[in-house]
Amino acid sequence: MNGPARPEGRLEALRRRLPTRRRRAPLPLIGRSGARPAPVAASLLRLSLAVLLAYGGLAGGLAYWQVVEAQRLSSDPQNPLVLAAARQAPRGSILDATGTILARNVQGSGREPLRQYPVPEAAPVVGYSSPIYGTSGLERAYDAQLTGLRSLRQGDELFRKFRAQPYDPNDLLISLDVRLQRAAARLLGDRHGAVVAIEPATGRVLAMVSNPTFDPNRLVDPETGRRYVARLRERDDSPLLNRATQGLYVPGSVFKIVTASAGLGSGSIRPETTYESQPEEYETGFLVSGFRIRDFPRNFQTDHPLDLYEATEVSSNIWYAHAGLDTGPENLLEWARRYGFGERLPFELSTQPSQVTGGDGPLEGFLDRVELANAAYGQGQVLVTPLQMALVAATVANEGLLMRPKLVDSMRSASGQETRLGPESWRQVLSPSQARVISDAMQLAVEGEFGRQLAGRARVPGVPTAGKSGTAQLAEDQDPHSWFIGFAPADNPQIAIAVIVERGGAGAQQAVPMAGELMEHYLGLPR
Amino acid sequence: MAVVARALHTVGIRPRFRWRETALLSIVGLTLLAGWASLQSHREGELTLGDLTLPGVYLGTLAAVHVAFVMTGRRMDQLLFPAAALLGGLSLLLMERLPQDLAAQSFFGRLLPLAPLQLLWMVLGFCVLGTLAIVVRNDGWLRRYKYSWAALGIFLLLLVFVFGDSVGGSRLTLRIGPLAGQPSELLKVILVVFLAGYLAENRALLSVASTRLGPIRLPPLPYLAPMMVMWGLALAIVIVQRDLGAALLFFLVFLALLYVATQRASYVIIGLALFAAGALAVYELFPHVRVRVDVWLDPFADPLGAGYQVIRALYAFGRGGILGTGLGAGLPQVGGTPSIPAIHTDFVFAALAEELGLLGGLAILAVYALIAQRGLRIAARAADDYRALLAIGLTLVIVVQAAIIIGGNLRLVPLTGITLPLVSYGGSSLIVNSIVIGLLLALSDRGVEPPPLPGQRAGRVERLRRRARRVGGKLEEAVS
Amino acid sequence: MDAFTVSLWILRLTFVVLIYLFFFFVVRALWRDLRSTVVGAGQALARLVVVASPEGRPMAGTALPLDAVNTIGRDVNNSIVVDDTFVSAEHAALTFRGRAWYVEDHGSTNGTWLNGQRVESFLPLGYGDELQVGQVRLRLERPQA
Repeated sequence: MNGPARPEGRLEALRRRLPTRRRRAPLPLIGRSGARPAPVAASLLRLSLAVLLAYGGLAGGLAYWQVVEAQRLSSDPQNPLVLAAARQAPRGSILDATGTILARNVQGSGREPLRQYPVPEAAPVVGYSSPIYGTSGLERAYDAQLTGLRSLRQGDELFRKFRAQPYDPNDLLISLDVRLQRAAARLLGDRHGAVVAIEPATGRVLAMVSNPTFDPNRLVDPETGRRYVARLRERDDSPLLNRATQGLYVPGSVFKIVTASAGLGSGSIRPETTYESQPEEYETGFLVSGFRIRDFPRNFQTDHPLDLYEATEVSSNIWYAHAGLDTGPENLLEWARRYGFGERLPFELSTQPSQVTGGDGPLEGFLDRVELANAAYGQGQVLVTPLQMALVAATVANEGLLMRPKLVDSMRSASGQETRLGPESWRQVLSPSQARVISDAMQLAVEGEFGRQLAGRARVPGVPTAGKSGTAQLAEDQDPHSWFIGFAPADNPQIAIAVIVERGGAGAQQAVPMAGELMEHYLGLPR
Repeated sequence: MAVVARALHTVGIRPRFRWRETALLSIVGLTLLAGWASLQSHREGELTLGDLTLPGVYLGTLAAVHVAFVMTGRRMDQLLFPAAALLGGLSLLLMERLPQDLAAQSFFGRLLPLAPLQLLWMVLGFCVLGTLAIVVRNDGWLRRYKYSWAALGIFLLLLVFVFGDSVGGSRLTLRIGPLAGQPSELLKVILVVFLAGYLAENRALLSVASTRLGPIRLPPLPYLAPMMVMWGLALAIVIVQRDLGAALLFFLVFLALLYVATQRASYVIIGLALFAAGALAVYELFPHVRVRVDVWLDPFADPLGAGYQVIRALYAFGRGGILGTGLGAGLPQVGGTPSIPAIHTDFVFAALAEELGLLGGLAILAVYALIAQRGLRIAARAADDYRALLAIGLTLVIVVQAAIIIGGNLRLVPLTGITLPLVSYGGSSLIVNSIVIGLLLALSDRGVEPPPLPGQRAGRVERLRRRARRVGGKLEEAVS
Repeated sequence: MDAFTVSLWILRLTFVVLIYLFFFFVVRALWRDLRSTVVGAGQALARLVVVASPEGRPMAGTALPLDAVNTIGRDVNNSIVVDDTFVSAEHAALTFRGRAWYVEDHGSTNGTWLNGQRVESFLPLGYGDELQVGQVRLRLERPQA
């Protein structure tokens, strides 16, 4: 810097290289340097922005988990806190429609409360809550509400931790009627099968029995529980499975109601539709692509073509095979879908989807016309759950309007807050007039001159009763499943029912009288 | 007061008060005491302060370092040290709160459990921090020997590679007698020291675009080579050691420094492309990486196996809510086992966010943002490029590392096993991050020796330019 | 909710409030920093206050506004003319580079001193620091708001 340059010249040179005010960068003033890249500091703003963005993202993530998702995470049944609270927190009770306690807490021998089930017959619905085996049934579906981990009140989450008792357990009031439930369990006895009863107008489940079943009291007992569960698991008849919602059965003739709905709903058949070839086919069988479809042997109504009412009354497979082929695969599948086939039903307990066909054939899923014709009267590859068939009966009873099936009527928190869960309609499957045609046909099947001989024992004395029996053919060497679906009173339905007795023989032998007795019992109950 | 000051003056001590730091440290002290009282009260079921030995020692250390800064008259940044002190205080609270048997080590015949052990490392760390901040008056020892530092770093890594112990599938720990350390922690500082030196010397050349590759203009490739070698070697060894977090950290810091030094976006684009390619290759080649990424995408696919840690962390966040459960009231343990594996190292943020809630979690993020602001401000005011780059690198080492592990906790990025700087349990991590803060403080001191004049020790550009001037040519000819 | 639970929650919230008090002070400090660096256009970057000047040119107590580049010396071409017997014609330069002030000695006979330390080539300095050229003592101060 001590060169020969004169002072003013140097000063000017210095000034020329002055940074403008905005440039925060140090000016390389001292020492000789020529053109250098922009100073390091110039890109700091962009770097700061990147850091700020990254930390903003982190803050957003934190807020997402701690505010938006907090409630869902805190009531996830996998959450260790939920498990810990389930062990220590008092759990709400479960009560039926008559106020009978189905599940309650008692003080166990240790510090942890123990669950007690005064009505073991309700086990398929109520399930269990065990410190070892977790939860099932309603105990699982409403775990968060029973323990009170999920508050019913909005905005409660923030202040819950300030309370001495942080959780607000709810009692569940459910639609089950313990009198009907007990009667169904007693009637089923030790036969394998299931009973589902529904209130058609609301979808409330009145009874749901599955046999064989288990004793939840022995399962949750800390002393005998392990041995009991081990023994249950050894058995090959799956007593822990709720057959009413998860058992898949061949429906046989009860499925004809779905075929009739599809035919009428799509306009493919009318109530007075007849097939002229029928009297002859009763003798020879109805030949579909080389497969011979036959009716059950009968000694009446064989001499003339039948209409829908007569065909339903005598349960003619040939008529329904014709009707199914006329209706076509698309329509049959569409009306089945409207009833809920093919999906897990929107229900509090987990359900298996029912199916009309295996679904891998070229004919909209059907392999060929033979399978379609067989499916039309409930054979082929049709598989249904008892709950699904009860919904079919309830829909016909409710003028074609399908209600969502449900168990819990209301929840009552320990602090007195009550939440009602009202009935919800799901789909309009049929028009009321179409539903009435099927209802009339079903009434004939129980009360008609000929129907009486098949399903007459389902009739509730003094009350118009509608229904359809079924005999689901299995393999050659096995007895068929015995089925009945129906409702009563036919002109003002209070109860719709589905009964299946596994390997129970013809419908008339086992399911029909049981359903009749249950409907009679229910209608006679004081309310 | 004046009398004391004059007396000190005569013995060569010129105190300079740092009131901002004093005030902020006082708040940190009060915060720690309030937290301690709330933790102990929750435990005892009655209002109590509990045993104040641990917070006492910690606050004593803070006070000692502060007094040393004041007495030596240093004119350093006044916000950086309180920020570090606040993080340390949170760490102490958390370690006291966690099950004490998560870590234990024997020192001179005494078995120290988790909290006292962490405190010991923190005290050592703050001593290192204070010493560095006070003693370091020039940067020659870092600036001049960059290749030596790089060699030392690689030597350390090789040492671990050959003699290291495996912990949790990663070969990270080096044991010398009773002491165990993780040299990859130190390596990140060494990498920054090297990169800052190299880039400051060569940035003029690196930012000249001479090679053309289609539409992209590249700098002269030979000048990138030593740096790429250094970076690639570090990365390769780190991947072989399965320390993904450190690899990600090195890469991001490297990219940021390269961009800042050259101000060429093409480096960032090429770097990100390289990263994408590398990530894909690593994902395909290494099963442990694949597991990490798959868990990140869907932890609920295997809730009791690979996704366990991440899901548990999410539960912890959910449990915390806005206000948190309160110190001591969280659930770090369910039935005797920690609710989140590695809760004291990788998942400290989840543990703190559970007990302090969204408010506490945001505060922790804000402390790191504050460290970023101070560090980048130090860089902006640095006397020359080297110091600016060094400050940026050191800042990013802390800030990016915190972002990577917090992001991993929050399932924003795949989880990698690195520590949350100044909070996680671990001696190496604490000491190294204290070194980083100490160096940043030293860099912020306005009384330190100025950097050498560009002419004094010429870099490559200067030498070329001088040679060019001698032969009467221009710089551009000499360069090309 | 019993008294203990209440007081425990008060304690817990105090803890959080204290953390945010920390940030309040931090933000205040940052704000002050920001204000001190934002200088209006046409305003001086800093002031050089004459602390002592035995020969009275300039007078003690005078505040000299500073530009980004200031040369100090006895020659009238300097931006700050210090007419003191012991000051060289081109004595020193005071420059603002980016965000820091630097003083550079221009080979003066009697040297430039910063807080009692001889400036060999150049040194950074901050507000409140004292420079000495010849017999004149100058203090760097923030510009007046």
